[in-house]
Amino acid sequence: MKRILAVLLAGIMAMSMAACTDGGTSSGAGTEDESQTTGTTLNGTVKTGGSTSVEKVMTALIYKFQENNPDAVINYEMNGSGDGIEGVSSGKYEIGHSSRDLKDEEKAEGLTGTAYAIDGIALVVNKENAVKNLTQQQVKDIYTGKITNWKDVGGADAPITVVVRESGSGTRSAFGEIVGIEDSELVSGATECKDTGAVQTTVSGNANAIGYMSFSDMDTSKVNPLQYEGVDISTETLKDSSYKLQRSFLLVTKEGAELSATAQAFIDFIMSSEGQQLVTDNNLIPVA
Amino acid sequence: MKEKRSPGNVSYSSISGRGNNKAIIEVVMNIIFFICGILAVVSVAVISLYMIFSGGPAIFKIGITDFLFGSVWNPDDSQFGILPMILASIIATVIAVLIALPIGVLVAVFLSHIAPKKLASIVRPMVDLLAGIPSVVYGLLGAILIVPMIFKIQEALSMPTSGCLLSAIIVLVIMILPTIINVSETALRAVPKSYYEASTGLGGSQIQGIFKVVVPAAKSGIVAGMVLGTGRAIGETMAVMMVAGNAVIFPELLKPVRLLTVSIPFEWAYSSGLHREALFGIGLVLFVFIMIINFAINRILKGGKEKS
Repeated sequence: MKRILAVLLAGIMAMSMAACTDGGTSSGAGTEDESQTTGTTLNGTVKTGGSTSVEKVMTALIYKFQENNPDAVINYEMNGSGDGIEGVSSGKYEIGHSSRDLKDEEKAEGLTGTAYAIDGIALVVNKENAVKNLTQQQVKDIYTGKITNWKDVGGADAPITVVVRESGSGTRSAFGEIVGIEDSELVSGATECKDTGAVQTTVSGNANAIGYMSFSDMDTSKVNPLQYEGVDISTETLKDSSYKLQRSFLLVTKEGAELSATAQAFIDFIMSSEGQQLVTDNNLIPVA
Repeated sequence: MKEKRSPGNVSYSSISGRGNNKAIIEVVMNIIFFICGILAVVSVAVISLYMIFSGGPAIFKIGITDFLFGSVWNPDDSQFGILPMILASIIATVIAVLIALPIGVLVAVFLSHIAPKKLASIVRPMVDLLAGIPSVVYGLLGAILIVPMIFKIQEALSMPTSGCLLSAIIVLVIMILPTIINVSETALRAVPKSYYEASTGLGGSQIQGIFKVVVPAAKSGIVAGMVLGTGRAIGETMAVMMVAGNAVIFPELLKPVRLLTVSIPFEWAYSSGLHREALFGIGLVLFVFIMIINFAINRILKGGKEKS
């Protein structure tokens, strides 16, 4: 019976440990470290992590890179842009993923961001909405609650339903930064959506709604994109930067810190025509 | 080690000479039963400890009063007040239960005493089916049918159109009805027929017999159904998330609200650091709510038994 008890206890401990240690959100993009071997093939594990907004394109890039270099492993932990930037500076990651620009104090720490793709933030309204264009000031006034009726911006006489993303979202913080809205001044009672798709569904089902979402996921058969400062959103206007509501996806590295051969090769691959083609395939604007 | 002295094991020692296989099976089965028996206990213990250890520190870092009674939820600015969400959860649940209870009890009375057998045998499986529909389906129907209807009310009042507390309540009412109906019906059926017969025998009408005699006799069971419904309503997430608009403001009937449960799946993906810990803190608060409800139901059921 003692033995049974011992086995049981071991089982319970194993269970509770399994339950307690599974806290991270590593995406499992790779397996374990292969440790260095001689030769010219790339190998070893590169630790990367950060933004979840870049997930689709980054997973595709990692998959292709690992297919080309079977001995190399790229890890990708999805904990948000903030974690990606901080992780590079603390040495947790060799490469960080960010879907927002680096702040000045982060640049001062010796971090650099290399843009490899551009994503537009589309301002979308319902198909029935007659409004075609909003200025930066109008967008700001709508999102801070100074303008509450569509007739004040050239639309029908109907109250505006403001749709935002949940706090922590990279799209939300990028939108706030570009338009110039502090989180604390955001209009209270705005409908919140959990992801880009939910914004599109909400706006397409609500005649008076306005929302913002990733250009790469926008479906113009469901929602109308607005002009921002008189400029249409399109691949061209994003490329020549005339459409201002846009953000870059960055690879964050530390200046002076030497990258492993595999990490360098991964960055080179992303910037290569093959990598940039994957960026285009994922509905983003390539930089090269 | 009680199982060693159990009758099963005694017989094994008396025939141990030729029953080695039997003995092994006895022991193995004992272990399997013991593991199964203890699994639930271990799960509850592990979950409780995990919630306390992962949610507790955040609550203390934020400060219990700032966390529970703060009115601003703005994780990007390190403001973690969940009072609006607690109030939204409580108000939505209470109103939903208050609406669902009379409807549910009346349906239960209908099924147990009034409906012809044939009709009851059609309605009852429907109610069971209603209980089995996944909550996301309720959410979908709510988003497609109920929310646009409420848009019309909001438009008439020239308010911004959006999902709101009212739509959440309507969805919750439909979701908890089957629970209340099923439990109440069982309770009503358990009332001895003689009660009702005595009432009619004394000249009471059918309705008098049901509402003056049978329903009061089944009171504790009906209350248990109500508490179970409350538990379901307060824990509901998916359906509510799809219809409520999810803004963290103090609840108003026609304005968007965020219920406590919704915040966890809603903000999980992009949260990090204290924000993520605060979500665990919300989980802990919910956990306490559910424990209170379970405690209440245990008391009610026990009280009912003592009386009878």
